[in-house]
Amino acid sequence: MSARAGLLHPRILIGGGIVATLALMAVFAPQLAPHDPNAQELMYTLLPPAWAPGGNLAHPLGTDSLGQDVLSRLIWGTRTALYVAVLAAGGAMLLGTTLALLAGYFGGWADWLVARAVDTWMSFPPVILALILLVGFGAGLNNVVFAIIIVDWTRFARVIRAEVIVVRRRDYIAAARLSGFSHMRTLVSEVLPATMPLIVTLLSLEMGIAVIVEATLSFVGLSVETDVPAWGVMIADARVYMNQSPWGVMVPTLAIFVTVLAFNLLGDGLRRALDPRLRVRGAA
Amino acid sequence: MSDTLYIEDLTVALRGAEVLRNLTFDVAPGRVVGLVGESGAGKSMIGRVLAGTLPEGFGVTGGSARFGTADLVTMAPAARRAMLGGRITFIPQEPLTALNPLLTIGAQFIEHLARLGVPRRARRGRVLDALAQVELPDPAQIVARYPFQLSGGQNQRVLIAMAFASNPALIIADEPTTALDVSTQMSVVSLIRRMGRDHGTGLVFITHDLRLAAHVCDAIVVLYAGEVVERGPAATVMLSPRHPYTHSLKASIPQLSGPLHRLVPLPDTMPGIGSFAAMPGCRFAGRCPVSDPACAAAPPANVDLGGGHVVRCAPGCLSGAWDGTTPELLLPPPDPTGEPILTVAGLSKRFPPPRDLFGRRRGDGTLAVDGADLTVHAGEFIGVVGESGSGKSTLARLIMGLEHPTSGTIRLDDRDITAASRAARDLRIEALQMVFQDPQSALNPRRTVQRLVTQGMEARGQRDRPTRAADLLRETGLAADLTHRYPSELSGGQKQRVNIARALCVAPRLLVADEIVSGLDVSVQAQILNLLMALRDEHGIGLILISHDLGVVRYLCSRVCVMLQGRIVEQGTVARVFSDPQHAYTKALLASIPPDDPTVPWPPEKESTQ
Repeated sequence: MSARAGLLHPRILIGGGIVATLALMAVFAPQLAPHDPNAQELMYTLLPPAWAPGGNLAHPLGTDSLGQDVLSRLIWGTRTALYVAVLAAGGAMLLGTTLALLAGYFGGWADWLVARAVDTWMSFPPVILALILLVGFGAGLNNVVFAIIIVDWTRFARVIRAEVIVVRRRDYIAAARLSGFSHMRTLVSEVLPATMPLIVTLLSLEMGIAVIVEATLSFVGLSVETDVPAWGVMIADARVYMNQSPWGVMVPTLAIFVTVLAFNLLGDGLRRALDPRLRVRGAA
Repeated sequence: MSDTLYIEDLTVALRGAEVLRNLTFDVAPGRVVGLVGESGAGKSMIGRVLAGTLPEGFGVTGGSARFGTADLVTMAPAARRAMLGGRITFIPQEPLTALNPLLTIGAQFIEHLARLGVPRRARRGRVLDALAQVELPDPAQIVARYPFQLSGGQNQRVLIAMAFASNPALIIADEPTTALDVSTQMSVVSLIRRMGRDHGTGLVFITHDLRLAAHVCDAIVVLYAGEVVERGPAATVMLSPRHPYTHSLKASIPQLSGPLHRLVPLPDTMPGIGSFAAMPGCRFAGRCPVSDPACAAAPPANVDLGGGHVVRCAPGCLSGAWDGTTPELLLPPPDPTGEPILTVAGLSKRFPPPRDLFGRRRGDGTLAVDGADLTVHAGEFIGVVGESGSGKSTLARLIMGLEHPTSGTIRLDDRDITAASRAARDLRIEALQMVFQDPQSALNPRRTVQRLVTQGMEARGQRDRPTRAADLLRETGLAADLTHRYPSELSGGQKQRVNIARALCVAPRLLVADEIVSGLDVSVQAQILNLLMALRDEHGIGLILISHDLGVVRYLCSRVCVMLQGRIVEQGTVARVFSDPQHAYTKALLASIPPDDPTVPWPPEKESTQ
């Protein structure tokens, strides 16, 4: 009951609402976008948004330097952003959390190996590492996902390992073993749920980071193929004409900002709602 | 310096609910007044009123706390600050958290003296004198140390020295020995008493331990749910308590000498602050064995029995007709017969030192348990006593297979279960179960009571768990409506019952219980002890009870092992060990507990300086 009440917190409602809207935009992009995102109308380049002087209702957010409809590209760009956010953050979470659970729970050599691997990994500058990976594998959306997983699993591994070590010392873990639970079952049904609030928080932060990383790599042309709309590509294209037409930069930047903020709000809200330690006695 | 603290009709309220109601007592110079009560009784609140540090929302709504010419309740904050730390000082519960870990003892003490206005050149000498007065060996060494380099008892002595440095008229000591081992407790308590007498200081001694208070204090004030239910000379209150609550409190403490009587615990627990507003009358009425409807309607008046003995109860109860129920005499359990269930021989555990950056270990580590021998028969209760760090808990974890021994054997019936094998584990968890010390940490906060107590069936994939859960709850005295609650919604005593119920789920033959009552109030402790006794009578279950409380061990167990630095230094029947201890450490341990009779002088006046 109290957990359900917690799920109605404004953080979750606002964050979740925005994320849900973005997800719908991504799924129904072909239906929602008023134009083909790659269709060029060279008669109408660098149009301002419809409400600004010289705007045109056919292009509500204006057009870019090639006369492509900004709103349509923005909607299609949501697809790219969320694809990377979900797959990259999910992959980093799976890899990092699995290693962290094994290292923190079993300790000993497993822990020593994972801890040193994380130390070594985190000493590489992440941007350089990602660039090296992308140059090696070649540009492309799936390679961006792969690069983010390879670079960012350490965030999950380090933070969750520390939490697992704390949880593992609680007597209820020993009690589960004494009840007859196998190591695997203890890990999955006792240790993992205790780290869930942290995992959810990290996952949402990581989704936000993935959106930014993808946009950054798109900006330098290492991410998507040229015919795929992405927010980073939009910023890169509009950057040259920023003085004549600031909207071209502002619109995709605002989209990135809102997306990252929504992920953070949702993650923080879920962490509070899921943590039974924050559930007060008698509140049920 | 001869100022008396007079507290009169002091009332503290939180949003209309009176958290402290009409408190009255006084503390004369050189006298020790004990504030005794269970957690939530409002003991510490009194110290906070005097210090002016009431939590947000709490406020004094009536009464006064006169001290010298001033009233501490209405005093201006600046004047109060000038008085605190000087004329009124405090001795805290946790010595280690009260000292700054980043400063040496000397630096902190000198800072304190500087605030008191001691001239710069005299400060160091004063520090050394003060530390010598509290019997710390080699004060010149101590001043250069950091708090973490000293033991808990030594830190507490430093704080006592600081509290007395200003030659105060009043000291408030809030559970000053609760965090210390019993032998350290004795020397610290006798030090506080002696210092108080030498300096002519009035002492407010806050404690949950009625027996300790009876020995340390001149007068005792018994608190229940924010009310003084009884106050009077210490020996009178202890020997002939008149309030039903004081009676029950006394009847809940396991005795250390004489014939064993069954403890008579109170039902339920003390009401919380939230329910005070709905209790216009006597707050004890709901649990009182002799209350009548009138008690709950209006607060009872104070009855003066003469000699400073005042009881807040209906006159009918005080006529002397009710002197508490005479508790049933406990017969010693029959001697165990047959083969032992558990045989531990030469069990040792050495903890390796932690790995360094390159995964290597240096040094020998710590020998936590050293050659322990122990046998337990069916239905036998065995106590393991010793100070913190004596290896008691490690022994329990070795027996349960949570740690693996360096050497020695553990046999269950006639099968060896020492190895860390799957077969040994399966044998073990069918027959042995553990009840953990801290129910907060032992209960997964994400499981409901039902899912907690039937965890053993879940592991075996057995069905029919709700039925078994209901049985277990009934057996451990838990109400059926708790079935779907989470641990955060339970009281401390309820959590500990869930903890026991879980261990009983697979019907083990032997329970290993690690300090399971140490965090509980005495009335709840008595409930749990009686529950364990009932389990022996009904199921013939055996018990290894690890405890630092000798009274608890004497009440429950037939045999006792005394541990010191990882070794079992003495083992024998409870009757023999308590009446005729052989090892010097056992003797010291027994001497360090306050005796049942408050007229027996304790701590011994002639005490060696250590």
